Amino acid sequence: MSGRKETVLDLAKFVDKGVQVKLTGGRQVTGTLKGYDQLLNLVLDEAVEFLRDPDDPLKTTDQTRRLGLIVCRGTAVMLVSPTDGTDEIANPFVQPDGA
Amino acid sequence: MLLSELISVITNDGRNIVGILKGFDQATNIILDESHERVYSTKEGVQQIVLGLYIIRGDNISIVGELDEDLEARLDLTELRAHPLKPVIH
Amino acid sequence: MLPLSLLKTAQGHPMLVELKNGETYNGHLVNCDTWMNIHLREVICTSKDGDRFWRMPECYIRGNTIKYLRVPDEVIDKVQEETKRSDRKPPGVGRGRGRGRDDNSAGRSSKGIGRGGLEDGGGRGGRGKGLSGSKPSGNRGKN
Repeated sequence: MSGRKETVLDLAKFVDKGVQVKLTGGRQVTGTLKGYDQLLNLVLDEAVEFLRDPDDPLKTTDQTRRLGLIVCRGTAVMLVSPTDGTDEIANPFVQPDGA
Repeated sequence: MLLSELISVITNDGRNIVGILKGFDQATNIILDESHERVYSTKEGVQQIVLGLYIIRGDNISIVGELDEDLEARLDLTELRAHPLKPVIH
Repeated sequence: MLPLSLLKTAQGHPMLVELKNGETYNGHLVNCDTWMNIHLREVICTSKDGDRFWRMPECYIRGNTIKYLRVPDEVIDKVQEETKRSDRKPPGVGRGRGRGRDDNSAGRSSKGIGRGGLEDGGGRGGRGKGLSGSKPSGNRGKN
């Protein structure tokens, strides 16, 4: 309930770095974090949205849309991660059923 | 109280998870120990998938119920056929 | 036992988190708060249908998007130890919360305990089990 130090993640270390943000509803954007507040409202510069497959909105495609300078509303932010070091990889899990 | 009892939980996505209730809070978040999921099918018997120690968020819980252990012991799940539950639609 | 106490105790341990949108995240819990917001490190993200995977060095997940968390079995035994310990000094705990400084140091020390326990207990084996277990859940709709 205290105002300070209630956030689990210190976003300060991501300022001026690339971050990936997933929003409720399924939108996914990346951009350079320019600012934030304790409600997790984020300012992203040169933001790019990953468009989704119209047939299956759960899937993101490689198509993108440039958004420029945006504010992500904190209440809609589901997930934040640094883009640096984030890569798509092959299935890292051993599959017991071979499916 | 149901603490330390075997309970059955039905989640909003239509899963049935059975386990020992170890704790809960105001938001109906619950701790299930030694939990397993029961997967129902019309074609084959009930599959039990071991899940272990789980924290299920209250938002995602539809029903919490006590399991009758005597009845459980008499049930042959491998003979049981049932339609899988559909997820809750908001 | 409160779900959030268990989660707090699980700091430093590997865990699997499924979000309401069906994506799963495997990683080590760094920190969590009273809203169940969590910070994971060394994360592997799996798409809802279980056919795409991403690795990310860390991520922050908002609590209200979580469906469930799967934590290593041994963590539940550690909670009991820690509650016993804190039972002996409840006044100190109560007071400490008022001061911002204490909040921080308490978090650090409990994290230290969790880390040590993981290494001693050989938590790796448990992790492997947990990881492979995540896969069938992606498939279950097809069965």
